[in-house]
Order: sequence, then structure tokens, then C-alpha cells
Amino acid sequence: MKLSTKGRYSLETLVYLATCRENCSIRSISEATGISSGYLEQLMIPLKKAGLVDAERGVQGGYRIARKDITCAEVLLASEGDFLPAPCKGCSQSDFCKTHQIWSLLQNTVVEFSKEILIESLAAHLVESEEGGGI
Amino acid sequence: MRLLVDIAEHGNEGPVALSHVAVRQNLSEKYLQQVALLLTRGGYLLSVKGAGGGYLLNMEPDKMSIYQVLDLLEGNIAFEETPQGEESAIQRCIRLHYYQKLDLEVKRVFKDITLAEVTKADWFSYVI
Repeated sequence: MKLSTKGRYSLETLVYLATCRENCSIRSISEATGISSGYLEQLMIPLKKAGLVDAERGVQGGYRIARKDITCAEVLLASEGDFLPAPCKGCSQSDFCKTHQIWSLLQNTVVEFSKEILIESLAAHLVESEEGGGI
Repeated sequence: MRLLVDIAEHGNEGPVALSHVAVRQNLSEKYLQQVALLLTRGGYLLSVKGAGGGYLLNMEPDKMSIYQVLDLLEGNIAFEETPQGEESAIQRCIRLHYYQKLDLEVKRVFKDITLAEVTKADWFSYVI
């Protein structure tokens, strides 16, 4: 299943931010994730709008995660919009179409499961693995 | 998928012509040909040549896993991707603790769903 690069990168960015105690500059996020600064700036716009990251200006400025209880579903919905829409969305027959029901089931499964996965717990795994993180 | 459902519903009267499916499902015949080719190669459909020819299911509907069909049609349904080049610690973490588990969950939900279930009138009794 293809999640967009935008979605995947947004998840990576949020997981990294969740490991940081202080504000992170775009540059430090870029170094940790390997995502270019320009692309990060773009990713941040919908994330900020959705209230998932806070931005602060100034010398000590930068980005930080807005809340502790952010889920993967929230990140993907913010960055991808309606992620994994059924290919038949908008079809006039969707109410009784069996194929549409399969897609709905798939979409619901993915969204509901993603609501259970906290960015915070992914960050905890990352720190545990002692391989990275921004602490 | 709509092609399979259609063939499952009409195939007992003999091979199903794509031109009929196109009309019933309001889909282009050209597009259906591509899908039918993919499904035939995947072993899900049987192509019958000649007058009155068309397509038949190549296995019992209750043996045809919807997960596998989606996997074929979508070209890999899994979220987990094989790391290309060097994988960062963050990517690895998300892959192992999110994508991999998500794939297992989708598999679990779809495990028992076959084409037979889908063609039943009121199949959507599955609750996640």
C-alpha cells in the first residue's frame, strides 16, 4: 500500500520531535531524518495547522511536538488529508457497491489501527533502541 | 474487484464477456481487459476463447482470498517497504513498530474474507 512520501516523512519528523526536549531547528531535524530543509518547511505547514507541532521564533526558536497524545492517524490525516480513499470515491453506486465496502473496510482498519499507535510510544522505542533520537 | 464480483454472480451461465461486464458495471472495456489479463495471469480467472467466450473464475469463490486479490491488483498492499539503501534509525523504528503491525492487522481483518463472502447480498457484517 502506498503511503505518500509526505505522509511517511511527516511521521518521521514527528517521531523525531517527540524525542527532543527542546525546540528543534529545521536544520537539526533535517540532519536526524535526512529530509531536506526545504521539504521539511513544507511538511510543517499542515502539521502546524492541525495543531500537531508548535513553532517558536527567535534564537531559541524552532519546532516542538504540541501534545503527548498524538497518534499516527492524526499525523497522516493532517499531512495526506483523506488518506487511502477508496478509488471509487464519489461513485454514485457506492452505497450498495460490494467493492466499495471492501475499500471502506480496508480504510477503516487502517485508520482505526493508526489511532492506537502513539507517536510518543514510537519515540520511546527509538530511544530504547539507542540508535538515535534527539535527546 | 467489481469484475470478479460480476463474474462470480453471472458465471454460472457460462463464460462472462467483458463487454457485458462493462455495461453492467459502467466501466470501460479496455480497462477491464487489462484487469482481466492481470487476474488471469494471477490464476484467478480462466479465459475462454471463441464464440460465446469470456472469463470464468479459476477457483471456487470461497477459496479466493480478497486480501491476495487486492495485493495483486494494487501491486503490493503492504505498508512496510523493503528499505532501499540505508535505513535511518527513525525509519526502522516506524517500520517495525507501525507499518509491520499495521500490515498484520489488515491481514487479520481480511483473513477470512473470500470472494464468496463479498458476493453474498449482505456481507458487510464484519466488525473491526
